Amino acid sequence: MTANGVYIYAIIPTGQALGPEDAGVGAPPAALRLLSQGPVAAVVSDAPEQLRPRRRDLMAHQDLLTRLAGRGPVLPMRFGTVAPDEAAVRRELTGSAKDHVATLRHLSDGVEINLKALPAQDALATLLAEEKPVRRLRDEARRRPGYEANVRLGEAVAAALTRRAAEAGHGIVRALTPLAREVAPGPEVHGCALNVSFLVDRDAAGRFRTEAERLAGPRRDHVELRVAGPLPCYSFVTPRRRRAPAGRT
Amino acid sequence: MTTTMYADEIAPCPPRAGTLYDVLELILDRGMVIDVFIRVSLVGIEILKIDARIVVASVDTYLRFAEACNRLDLERDSRSTTVPELFGGGAAKAVGKRKVRKAAESVGDTVRKVVGADDDDEDAEQEERPRKRRAPARGSAPRRRRAEA
Repeated sequence: MTANGVYIYAIIPTGQALGPEDAGVGAPPAALRLLSQGPVAAVVSDAPEQLRPRRRDLMAHQDLLTRLAGRGPVLPMRFGTVAPDEAAVRRELTGSAKDHVATLRHLSDGVEINLKALPAQDALATLLAEEKPVRRLRDEARRRPGYEANVRLGEAVAAALTRRAAEAGHGIVRALTPLAREVAPGPEVHGCALNVSFLVDRDAAGRFRTEAERLAGPRRDHVELRVAGPLPCYSFVTPRRRRAPAGRT
Repeated sequence: MTTTMYADEIAPCPPRAGTLYDVLELILDRGMVIDVFIRVSLVGIEILKIDARIVVASVDTYLRFAEACNRLDLERDSRSTTVPELFGGGAAKAVGKRKVRKAAESVGDTVRKVVGADDDDEDAEQEERPRKRRAPARGSAPRRRRAEA
């Protein structure tokens, strides 16, 4: 029954098996199967009737990919990738087998660690102490309180918070880059001053995280660092786009 | 109908997978896309994604920052002696911090709303449960309204 299409989770090397606990999106979780085509195989299930990014389905997608990535190289698909039928998946696998194999080899033993630099939210006091323009606006707003003055002050605070977070974040990224195989800037995220992903050797992931946290320590007044990972290599699977060799950012 | 939900604390960051927000952003934005399929699949999701991002940089946020700054200052300004300062200033500081946190939290809340508010599974509750407050209630009546799922 593939009336709603075939949901694709990932592409893995042929020969890698699924575990008994692996399950897909939907309620109850869809049964997974492998579509092998030459050297690569797609992990698929029937697509649920009304696919939307619900928490349950997002987590199912993510959990499955994390488990697959724990066993070997995997090309993670974006959430919600649905093909009309199995034949289309097989055609695609045949067509770009070479690319997929190359990417799988490139990713082998690699994991992604995502780093987000957020403005330090508890550092308003430090901010006021260190940023003269903000202090001036605050004095103004206190002398002549009013809507306009408040908006101006707030704008300045928001801008200063973001700038300080970005500066500190760049410093951290620079220091971490030599530890990574590859670096990929992520899309801009609201509320984040910096969003960068690193491709790291699997057995170096722990050290990488520790180092990131160590670097964040002394910059606590400027930046709140959020480290996610090890993750499946979401940011390193597009062969012809946005691929920066380690050392650029 | 607008529903607003404020959470007073940043969701803790689990060591492995990151927050749901991180995961959401990663699996919606990145990962492989096969051109042939994208038209079939991602139409509805793109809209939600955009929705999840129109956040934070609003006048409302600026005003909260301004308010937080002004309050925070009561205890730091050497020229004035104010009630919070006489009492040690802890209260003013706590309020200031919470305001800011609220402002910054609206990102997460929006995402949470998009992802979870219309989700009827019970696991949706896990992240939406209001977190315990650490500081005593502030002067004004609590403005928090729970999103009614």
